[in-house]
Amino acid sequence: MKRPALWSVVLVAGLLSGCGSAGSGSSSGTADGTLVVWDWKSGEETAASYIEQAKADFAAEHPDVTVEFVAQPFDQYYTLLGTAIQAGKGPDVMLFNGGGQIRDRADALLPLDDYVTGDRQRLAGWEAFTAKGKTYAAPVTLQGHPLYYNKALYEEAGLDPDSPATTWREFTDDCEAITEATDASCLALGNKEGFGIQFFLSGLGPGVLTPREYDAWIAGDRDWNSPRVRRLFELWKETGDAGLNNDGANSTALFNDAFALFQSGEAAHIVGLMSDVGHWKDFGEFLDPDDIGVMPAPRAEAGAEPVLPYDGGIGYAVAKWTKKPALAADLVRSLTSKDALQAFYADAGAVVSDTTVDVSDGGAALSAITSEIGAGKPALHVALSTETLDLLGRLSQQILSGSTGVDEALEQLADSDRKG
Amino acid sequence: MLVGGAQPTAGRPGAERTGRTKTPWRAQGASAGTGSPRAFGAQRAERLAPYVLVAPAVLVVATLRLWPLLLGVNYSFTGDGARDGTSVGLDNYAELVDDPLFRTALGNVGLLVLLLPVAVAIPGMLATFLFLRVPGHRLFRSVYFFPAVLSPVIVGAIFNLLLAYDGPLNSLLEKAGIGAVDWLGDPDVTMFTVVGVHIWATFGMALVVFLAGFSTLDTTLLDAARVDGASLARVIRHVIVPGLSRTIQFVFVTTMIGMLTSMFGLLYVMTSGGPEGSTYLPEYYIWIQQGQLNRPALASAASTVLFLIMLVVGLVQIGLLRRAGREH
Repeated sequence: MKRPALWSVVLVAGLLSGCGSAGSGSSSGTADGTLVVWDWKSGEETAASYIEQAKADFAAEHPDVTVEFVAQPFDQYYTLLGTAIQAGKGPDVMLFNGGGQIRDRADALLPLDDYVTGDRQRLAGWEAFTAKGKTYAAPVTLQGHPLYYNKALYEEAGLDPDSPATTWREFTDDCEAITEATDASCLALGNKEGFGIQFFLSGLGPGVLTPREYDAWIAGDRDWNSPRVRRLFELWKETGDAGLNNDGANSTALFNDAFALFQSGEAAHIVGLMSDVGHWKDFGEFLDPDDIGVMPAPRAEAGAEPVLPYDGGIGYAVAKWTKKPALAADLVRSLTSKDALQAFYADAGAVVSDTTVDVSDGGAALSAITSEIGAGKPALHVALSTETLDLLGRLSQQILSGSTGVDEALEQLADSDRKG
Repeated sequence: MLVGGAQPTAGRPGAERTGRTKTPWRAQGASAGTGSPRAFGAQRAERLAPYVLVAPAVLVVATLRLWPLLLGVNYSFTGDGARDGTSVGLDNYAELVDDPLFRTALGNVGLLVLLLPVAVAIPGMLATFLFLRVPGHRLFRSVYFFPAVLSPVIVGAIFNLLLAYDGPLNSLLEKAGIGAVDWLGDPDVTMFTVVGVHIWATFGMALVVFLAGFSTLDTTLLDAARVDGASLARVIRHVIVPGLSRTIQFVFVTTMIGMLTSMFGLLYVMTSGGPEGSTYLPEYYIWIQQGQLNRPALASAASTVLFLIMLVVGLVQIGLLRRAGREH
């Protein structure tokens, strides 16, 4: 009977000492002559010609290398990627969202700075793929949060659609006029997933923070107790209390129920996107493209200088474990070549990272967006860690429902941000 | 030892042939068995046979269940991110205890256990009505089972539409003058909404089990009760419930397992853990930590806690079933 007791002691001791790791393991790669790419885009019809162009560009230089695109479902993408990272083997090249998603996983990626020097000037949006001064992916699209408005509803409410509000007070006045004259709500808000607050923060934050505070926030020096940050969260509460949002914002999914509200003319404003979905091209399928306006964030505090908030949207990165780093980096460069990106813009309506791509045929809303790219700044929420964003989502729902106050929420966020 | 071990090899054929002369044959066979080396080999093969036969099952359980389980427990004592691979002792568990979200998730497990009687009573009542042949019982029998064949994702999507703030249910309520309820956006309501939908989606299975139980019910007792003029409530209380006690216990156990293990799909589609994190369950928490927040070690710790809870629940259930079996 002694042996089992001894064994269990050894077992428990071994477990308590916690050997091994739950994170990245040993390295491994794929067979020679093949590069494997994971993404969630290549399966989409609108990305077909983009992938084809990129493949052609790569094949011109490396005719004997096969590139295999594996399209994963986006819902599961980071879970699958997490498993690959833990196993230390998987694709050579993979697609990432900019911001927290890539920064959290930078340890598993190869710094690309030496490989992409030639593309630095041509492409915009590098910051979202940069962690601790190193670049881990090349941007494909730009993702930002313009404030869209419905010009037809403005006209119905007797407002001038060509001169939207520039201050918060004017904005709430316009909102009142719209809700009185039409059945539409002022703002379309979908906060079921906790994404609504992220869009609100980034879309309206430039109208609250001073440029200095804004830049400090992006650089990581965030003062959650500053009066302007508090004001931004009070505005969030105000939109709920004053009835500016659609009903049931906490149970409305941003993707794509809130976008649908704007598209169907049931809401006059929405903080939308520039690429993928919920953007000018999507809205234009239901609304008259001439009725879609883009306005800068209304100024809620003196000294704020509203800019277009945008970042690198999605970008391709190279895994640390790849056996062909130079080849994989070349593929990333092909995936961001001008011809490929031009095709992506033409088919998907994505605002691509290449600033030399011609977008003159996109209509008024798109040109209003692209004209602001030069002066734009990274979006506020993209600078936060995924953990803080997760908390932000829950707290924002609590602020809307009244179960948590702004002060308490800011305290918790400051705490989470410090840890992150 | 040896005599006993050799008994089946040499003893049985003789015993079959001679019937009553069992004992001398056995003794003879035993001595022959110990004597010849061939018989000794056969005897050893026979002793090993059971081990060889169970080996595949043991190997599958050990390599695919126990080993990963131990690895998971082991990972829960390591760190995430910068502390990846280093031993951190009980830090992850301390973090879990501090995390209000994980506490909510555990609280919701408790809520599910509390709601269990409702989840058992509904199919029980409906099965009783079917058994008592209410008008249209044939139609109801098939209609009730229908949701059980739908996947949680489809069920979730259907109810997302029905229960949306501007959805059909709320328009009905508003027309009736009751006012809209934010079924999926009010933290005090949403967990009950999801459990309600789960019960709707799964009660068909329990109903079938109940109907099977009813078919074993002694109809003479029911007839006697009717002849004596017992009311419906009394028939249920004194004849049906005691007669079905084993079935009820079985449904309790299976419904409990269903509630604790298969709510993920519904939560994922209907609430994503929200609003305000009020509908988190441990499984969902594990998934978020592992897949979204890149915290595999913390997720391992949460998995270990969930495993321990399920172990206790499982043991209690086995105990209940055993007791029920002994009673009959």
